[in-house]
Amino acid sequence: MLTRLIVCLDVREGRVVKGVRFEGLRDVGDPVELAARYEAEGADEIVFLDISASAEARTTLLETVRRAAEAVFIPLTVGGGVRTVDDIACVLRSGADKVSINTAAVARPELLSEGAERFGSQCVVASIDAKREQAAWRVWTHGGSVRTEIDAIEWARECVARGAGEILLTSIDRDGARSGFDLALTRAVSDAVPVPVIASGGAGSAAHVRDAVVDGRADAVLVAGILHDGVTTVRAIKAEMVHARIPVRAVA
Amino acid sequence: MRVSILDYGAGNMHSLAKAIDDGSSSVRLETDPMAALDSDVIVLPGVGAFGHAARRLAPARTALRDAIRGGLPCVGICLGMQLLFDESEEGAGKGLGVIEGRVTRLRANRLPHIGWTTIDDPSDAAFRRAPLDVAYYANSFACRPSRPGVVRAWSVHEDDRFPAMVREGNAVGVQFHPEKSSRAGVAFLGELIRGAGT
Repeated sequence: MLTRLIVCLDVREGRVVKGVRFEGLRDVGDPVELAARYEAEGADEIVFLDISASAEARTTLLETVRRAAEAVFIPLTVGGGVRTVDDIACVLRSGADKVSINTAAVARPELLSEGAERFGSQCVVASIDAKREQAAWRVWTHGGSVRTEIDAIEWARECVARGAGEILLTSIDRDGARSGFDLALTRAVSDAVPVPVIASGGAGSAAHVRDAVVDGRADAVLVAGILHDGVTTVRAIKAEMVHARIPVRAVA
Repeated sequence: MRVSILDYGAGNMHSLAKAIDDGSSSVRLETDPMAALDSDVIVLPGVGAFGHAARRLAPARTALRDAIRGGLPCVGICLGMQLLFDESEEGAGKGLGVIEGRVTRLRANRLPHIGWTTIDDPSDAAFRRAPLDVAYYANSFACRPSRPGVVRAWSVHEDDRFPAMVREGNAVGVQFHPEKSSRAGVAFLGELIRGAGT
């Protein structure tokens, strides 16, 4: 299997926004246009992370997903605000291929099983935000603002036991810092679970992405800011991966 | 050309409909399998679980099988490909039994097999008309046809080599998701649909 490069777009009220830790948000562009551009550049998947606060914004998000599914023909994952199995159904029916579930899974782990039973494990992504504490990693929820007592490695195992088909693993310590992925965390989770692990949080260069795969044993890598800011490109990251003999899908 | 996508009530059908709809065909989602028989091509999409879909198809199983065997072109994608076979380890119920064989779990440490994998040894004319070297997969199970001659392309996950494409008569199945395999995948899907309907 080829190693995937996944591009994440933070979506708020129908626009892609960018900001460090949700502060000082600025407009980056139209989600569908950006997703289509990243597909053309060779991105292997797109993630829309809904960071809207209001319920009305949900309708806007589903409309965005619908438009994206008509214009973008690579897998689309939607995360943020998915709380019930009906939410999962809504997002999938709008045209998403997978949903990522974070806070709601911690609150009620059965949601993962319900989603997997009805729609299949392949469309249930367990999103885990982890923060280092001494020799271990703790799970945080609510966009990284609420600490739990749950051990991240144990939680990853439980998510898979309950039906998650992939783990989207974000290091809160590294998120936005551009100092490289938390390789020890990535490796620990990747070794603990028998499903694909997507490394997220900390990409500052193409070399960091390579390290997440080679040293972190990630099956896929998620990047956002460094692409939106023009620090690097999908093409440059893939070239670096090819150079490190990581098999990737060629960019046309 | 009138194309019906069978909707078993689980998952994303929207992007598949858009990928097929190139302007020359009319595409409709059909929850009633019997109503879907009235079309030029029937598409079994790739979302959900085998048991659930088999239950949804059960009342129309014989009619569907007879229609496909009798000449109705059919394209099965992922789970839809698996439904062309007799049965699956994934769940109870019968497939359509259009192609002889069973569906079994992939022999691999890491499952589901999610991501892009190369297409090996393509022998179907569709690959010449619409080249596709690599495709997006999301499967834990794979088809094991009784007669290897029906296989038109292969893929490998870990140590398990499994059929990427099968064709028997006017029934075609692909284990990957052409509608999620970018522009080349959409072109390939168009080729399958047009090829099936003529």
